[in-house]
Amino acid sequence: MKILLVDDEDQFRESVAKQLAVRNYTVSEVSSGEDAIEFIHQNNIDIVILDMRMPGMSGAETLKEIKKLSPLTEIIMLTGHATVNTAMETIKMGAFDYIPKPVKLDELINKIEDAYRKKELKEKKLNNRENGK
Amino acid sequence: MNTINQTNEKEPGKKPEVQLSFDCSDGVAKTKKDFVRLRYLLIAGVLACFIIPHILLSAYFHFQFTSTLKTTGKYNLEALAKSQRNTIDLFLLERKMNIRNLFYNRMDTSNSSKDKMLYYLQTLKQNSDAFVDVGFLNETGLQTGYAGPFPELLNKNYKEEKWFRTLANNEKEYFITDIYLGFRNKPHFTIAVKQTIQDKMNIIRATIDPDKFYMFLRSISKGKEVETTLINNKGTYQIVDPDSGNLLGKSSYMPSLDILSGVKEISGKTGKELTAHAWLHETPWALIISQPLRLVHAQMYKTKYIMTISLVIIISLLAIVVWIVIGRLVKRAQIIAENSHHLQGQLIHASKLASVGELATGIAHEINNPLAIITSTTGVVRDLLNPEFNLDPSPENINKELDIVDSAAFRASGITKQLLDFGRKNKPERILSNINDLLDKTTQGVKKHQFDVENIELIKNYDPNLPEINVDPDRIGQVFLNLINNAGDAISGKGKITLSTSLKDRFIKIMIQDNGHGMSPDQIEEIFNPFFTTKDPGKGTGLGLSISLSIIDAMNGLLEVQSLPGQGSLFTVSLPVDTSGNA
Repeated sequence: MKILLVDDEDQFRESVAKQLAVRNYTVSEVSSGEDAIEFIHQNNIDIVILDMRMPGMSGAETLKEIKKLSPLTEIIMLTGHATVNTAMETIKMGAFDYIPKPVKLDELINKIEDAYRKKELKEKKLNNRENGK
Repeated sequence: MNTINQTNEKEPGKKPEVQLSFDCSDGVAKTKKDFVRLRYLLIAGVLACFIIPHILLSAYFHFQFTSTLKTTGKYNLEALAKSQRNTIDLFLLERKMNIRNLFYNRMDTSNSSKDKMLYYLQTLKQNSDAFVDVGFLNETGLQTGYAGPFPELLNKNYKEEKWFRTLANNEKEYFITDIYLGFRNKPHFTIAVKQTIQDKMNIIRATIDPDKFYMFLRSISKGKEVETTLINNKGTYQIVDPDSGNLLGKSSYMPSLDILSGVKEISGKTGKELTAHAWLHETPWALIISQPLRLVHAQMYKTKYIMTISLVIIISLLAIVVWIVIGRLVKRAQIIAENSHHLQGQLIHASKLASVGELATGIAHEINNPLAIITSTTGVVRDLLNPEFNLDPSPENINKELDIVDSAAFRASGITKQLLDFGRKNKPERILSNINDLLDKTTQGVKKHQFDVENIELIKNYDPNLPEINVDPDRIGQVFLNLINNAGDAISGKGKITLSTSLKDRFIKIMIQDNGHGMSPDQIEEIFNPFFTTKDPGKGTGLGLSISLSIIDAMNGLLEVQSLPGQGSLFTVSLPVDTSGNA
């Protein structure tokens, strides 16, 4: 499972990446939406953990672009000001789920696993459809 | 250049705190008061527009009408005097002709027998009952014949009488005397007619009863309270109403002998009177008629009265209509204004709620980010200490992570401190300060050193004649520091910051210009919002400009920004010289 962590807060991004890495996840990090899109262009990513509020491209804009670029990639939104509205909005836009800051690692890992399962299911369905043809 | 002006719309002294309630009752009360005032002003204005021209026109017509009526009144009375004068002239002429005709009687006129005289008297009385007696005089002035109630007058000699001498001297063919007492000692006047027969002068004279003459005068008088008198050329009454004067008494009014007829206002017994005169043709008497002015102008006074009443009624009706119509219009306008006021109140309330929401979102984001760093870093420390992961739990590694925790915690506390500054509960202390000195203080010491290190040139272009103004130096210093810090942060590498001051239109202008990276129009629109920053995370809280704006706002000042991406930014602070604000 390949994970991309997108957040402009360097210390937060690095510490989360460290924790995920010791739990055997393959984690890459970038600090902006623009960099994330560039990275996904070049690499195959299963799960993106994306901050909502960043200078330059916002989380929502980045989400849209990633979905265009790689529809099967699942995205978990990170938000410092979680409300039902923001959650609903991002989910409507195609995010798998959202997780508020400060982040509980267990919760993040659960969501990553769920998202990965969903991605696998989608891939399977897609393969079946293609085989059926 | 993109420009955003942030002006202060708050009342001086009002703290820039976020209020959750909006009370618009004050505004409504003020609106009500304004509308009451507007109503009275409109009514007064509209009425004045109607009434002033009305009054001016009425005054003009009244003046014209009065002067016309006065002139007409005078002409009328003079015409009446002339008409009566002609009647009297005619009366005297008739009497004169009655006497003259006696000479042409069938009877012989050379003698004056008693029978003949009686016949004469009878003939005269047939013509007019005003004749009292008749006498016949020879050329010596002796009355040789007489018929009438005073037989003792027979053989009286009249040669010394003025009328006899006038006739004897051939000055006139007839003579009408003034009223006199004469030999009979009773007021009368005489008409004497001369006729020369066989070279001898004969005179027939007849006397006229003044009472009868008076009655005749009364019979030709017209008009209410019109007083008619006759005076001679010496001002002696010849005919007068017994209530107004004594026969042969002196008249108080003497018209000019040269003016045949005329009219004049004089003060009489019953106030002002209009008096007209007309000199008779037959004898030097003047007919004088007078009438009280109030009667002469009665029609004028009546018209004036009707006009005044009409004007008052018209103006009252107009006032009522204006009152009702303007009242309704203003009421309607007031309802609309009040509704709009309520709506405005609701909008302000809504916008305040939105800013509170925005502020809360900003605070949540800014606080949750360091908290997230803290929790995730503590997670890393736990992982280091967990033997399961087989990591290096050396004190160095742990301390490195704990340093991150510390800095995140201080970052959060920095935000709360700035939020408190934003709230600004502490009371400002105002001191008469020189703005140039405040700018110098801000850029001294650490700041100067920092700019030197960063290769930033600081150019000062101050107006040395700035007046001192009453401000809180700490707060204004905070604004300058924020703006100078921003200018420094906008410059990467070598650059320059220009500080200028000037005085224009009772405002001190402080300009802080940098040649840094500048801002896009979108960024300019956001920069005064709390927590908006273009700086890297942890470097700026996004509160500096909002705090600066609230400080300048409280001083009734102005904070303006002009910026172009790649060229730099210019922040201008305008502070009123007459400070009544709160900073």
